[in-house]
Amino acid sequence: MHFIFSDEVVLLFDFWRVHSPAGMAISVAVVLLLAVLYEGIKVAKVKLLRHALESLPIPTSQQLMEETDGESASSDSLSVGRSHLRWFLCHFGQSLIHVTQVVIGYFMMLAVMSYNTWIFLGVVVGSAVGYYLAYPLLSMI
Amino acid sequence: MNHSHHSVAPPHHHPTTATAHSHSGGDGHMMSMPMTFYFGIKDVELLFSGLVIKTAGEMAGAFVAVFLLAMFYEGLKIARESLLRKSQVSIRYNSMPVPGPNGTILMETHKTVGQQMLSFPHLLQTVLHIIQVVISYFLMLIFMTYNGYLCIAVAAGAGTGYFLFSWKKAVVVDITEHCH
Repeated sequence: MHFIFSDEVVLLFDFWRVHSPAGMAISVAVVLLLAVLYEGIKVAKVKLLRHALESLPIPTSQQLMEETDGESASSDSLSVGRSHLRWFLCHFGQSLIHVTQVVIGYFMMLAVMSYNTWIFLGVVVGSAVGYYLAYPLLSMI
Repeated sequence: MNHSHHSVAPPHHHPTTATAHSHSGGDGHMMSMPMTFYFGIKDVELLFSGLVIKTAGEMAGAFVAVFLLAMFYEGLKIARESLLRKSQVSIRYNSMPVPGPNGTILMETHKTVGQQMLSFPHLLQTVLHIIQVVISYFLMLIFMTYNGYLCIAVAAGAGTGYFLFSWKKAVVVDITEHCH
């Protein structure tokens, strides 16, 4: 098994068959965008967590840490319940984003496993472009 | 003379049957490793040579095992991070003079946080790192079988593990840390 330059490849699914240079160019563009999306999702996860922690009131995170205590000191339990629900939904959304990140990462691995050099270069360039565009956004709040 | 006639005739038949055999043999060899996603439960080889899935019950068991392996991987990642944070004891401050803009001398302070090389926490981190690397390669190889059920098990296990183990971690983590 070794890397080959070829215009014919089958990627991931039965219907994704490439026979021509035009099809190969489109496939490389799709794989490139997939790699950009992967890097973007990594940054988006961190930003979402930061946004969630800042938007929730601070006593809520303290109450989450002290969940072994029976009754919390706060008087309005209704708003605490709503904040817990918001935190639960936020964390559930984060988990869905994590699943998407895992699946896209594995798809990129399988695309490189086709041993087609154009696809491999598409993944590498896409990762570079994605990192270049996304990581400066990490320092911006 | 009759013998020579007979000996000439059969060789014409042999090459065609030989090529027919090599064609079917060649196709059988190429189809052993699937290169596209499929949903199937017959003759699914899983990681080791003796582990072949043939029935629906075995596939259900493999689904649960892969799901738990992916969950364990996520938990191991979180556990290693918290162990590292707890064991970082030696904080050294180095102050060194550097020339300032107007010829003044400024003091620049460097803070290094680390572990000793032969300490028990670092050895434990190393062992856990090896386990994490091996499990991550196993999950990659399982995804490489291209079996739809097993791939869904990996993704669902990773999502559930992240959901269960990052729940508490997300509350106490330092939000300026980089994602991994």
